[in-house]
Amino acid sequence: MKKIILLLLFIAMMAPSQAIGQEAAGPIASISSYPVIYKYDEQVTWYFDLSSTTFAPESDVYLWIWSPTEPDAGNWENSSEFAKLTYEGNMVWSFTLTPTAYFSTTAEAIAASAGFWFRLKNKTGTKQSDVAQVAYTSFSSFYTANELIRSYPTAPVIDKGLSILFNSNLVPGFADATSVHFHSGLNNWAVLQEYQAWLPDVVEKTKLKNLGDGFYKMDLIPSEYYNTEDGYVMDNIVFLMVKDNWAATTPDQIIHAGEYIPPPPPEFRFFPMQLSQKDFLGIIRKNNEPGINKLIYTITAGSRILTGEFTGGTSEIKGFVNLVSELNGVQGLSEIHVLVKDNTNRTISDTNIPLKTTD
Amino acid sequence: MRCKIIYLLAFVGFLALGCNETDDGNPTDPITLYEKVNGEWGLMSLKMVDEFAKSNAVEPSEQNLSTLFNYEDFKIRFSVDSKMEPTTYEVLGDVPPLFAPSGYWKLSAAFQPARAEGVLIYLYSDAAKTQLKDELRLISVPGSNEEMEFQLTRVSNGTAFVSYLFKLSAIH
Repeated sequence: MKKIILLLLFIAMMAPSQAIGQEAAGPIASISSYPVIYKYDEQVTWYFDLSSTTFAPESDVYLWIWSPTEPDAGNWENSSEFAKLTYEGNMVWSFTLTPTAYFSTTAEAIAASAGFWFRLKNKTGTKQSDVAQVAYTSFSSFYTANELIRSYPTAPVIDKGLSILFNSNLVPGFADATSVHFHSGLNNWAVLQEYQAWLPDVVEKTKLKNLGDGFYKMDLIPSEYYNTEDGYVMDNIVFLMVKDNWAATTPDQIIHAGEYIPPPPPEFRFFPMQLSQKDFLGIIRKNNEPGINKLIYTITAGSRILTGEFTGGTSEIKGFVNLVSELNGVQGLSEIHVLVKDNTNRTISDTNIPLKTTD
Repeated sequence: MRCKIIYLLAFVGFLALGCNETDDGNPTDPITLYEKVNGEWGLMSLKMVDEFAKSNAVEPSEQNLSTLFNYEDFKIRFSVDSKMEPTTYEVLGDVPPLFAPSGYWKLSAAFQPARAEGVLIYLYSDAAKTQLKDELRLISVPGSNEEMEFQLTRVSNGTAFVSYLFKLSAIH
């Protein structure tokens, strides 16, 4: 409760900064991490999908984080280079850190804090995202759960991160292992990444991270790890853990994949379907691709040319053109020509719309 | 004790008789719609309805325009004279002129029919009310909640293709 009150107080302290002319860039669409699960003293990369914000693709974005500590304190108007994110493409930026090092504190102090609370901003602080939190997934329960294998998430998808925990204490012969390796394949061994103990690069690739006390972790992104072709459908991952040079193995294991749901296709429409020159014209595009955040229109109505733009995000860009006022009193119009482009100058629509004559 | 009961019954009897005022039979004129519509109204919401999409079961068929084009400031004043006869109307606020922003008005019926949808607000450009400019359909009439809805419908060859639904509340 005390943590929540402190957090709310801090957010309230941050609030006035919005009221002095800074541009609100909007909420962060999604946040993920790789590895999926990690200890606070382990290197991790956070990924921020800013497709729902007004940050421009490839722009310089900085981390402004104040919990568990505030590494860039006092530099709101000139963020430090160490707080700069890396643009990954498709409106996704990343930030790689080892939490205990970045926050100059202990894992215990981070665990006892309110979590990772932050904004993303431009260098000078004139543009900022909404307040957000990087969620942390604790896996401490695995150490006492007497489970041989646990995966995060339980139903992985081919192009997202996967962490697999292994308790070697439950398998005879694994004591005093020098290393443990992941001998595996996709879809009942249809696509293989075997543990080939005589190939050093494969030994390194298949090696699990030693968490101590007989516990291990494997982190991978299936599409990259197995180098599958685009569109490959993953049903399962089958595997066994191997001690050293096949000194011992676990029984065969299987993790069933989650259903891959492709993003819905973009959907463009005018509103209403029929209109007169005395009406408003809505221009709407849903399910936009990452990075598409603007629709720019040019409407030609006889000798009148109307131009403007609407902003939005991946879920929707929508706006209405005021034909009511703009075409008030204009005679002899039977149609208008509407050209709509997006912020990458791609033509979204280039069409004539007939105008109804009212009774 | 018995005495108290008798006093109580007598008191109740007096009260009953005292309230029994004779009905004088004076009739009260029914309230006209002009009395209800008369006054200044502020916008609560403005909805644009795609009547073509609606009749063809295409979604979405509605869009909310309440916060666009300055419609937050939309007000309309319907005036009547001392005899409760309609005189002028005026749109207040800098908004696009979906219908003629000022002129003269009257209703298709002075009294509320069983179905309120049947009442039209005729908007004229002249005081003689011969130059009809627009029609608004009363969707709900002012009652105790002091709210009113009317609809402007665009019609082409007898078929509605777009309408605008104004929801208003009385301004005191």
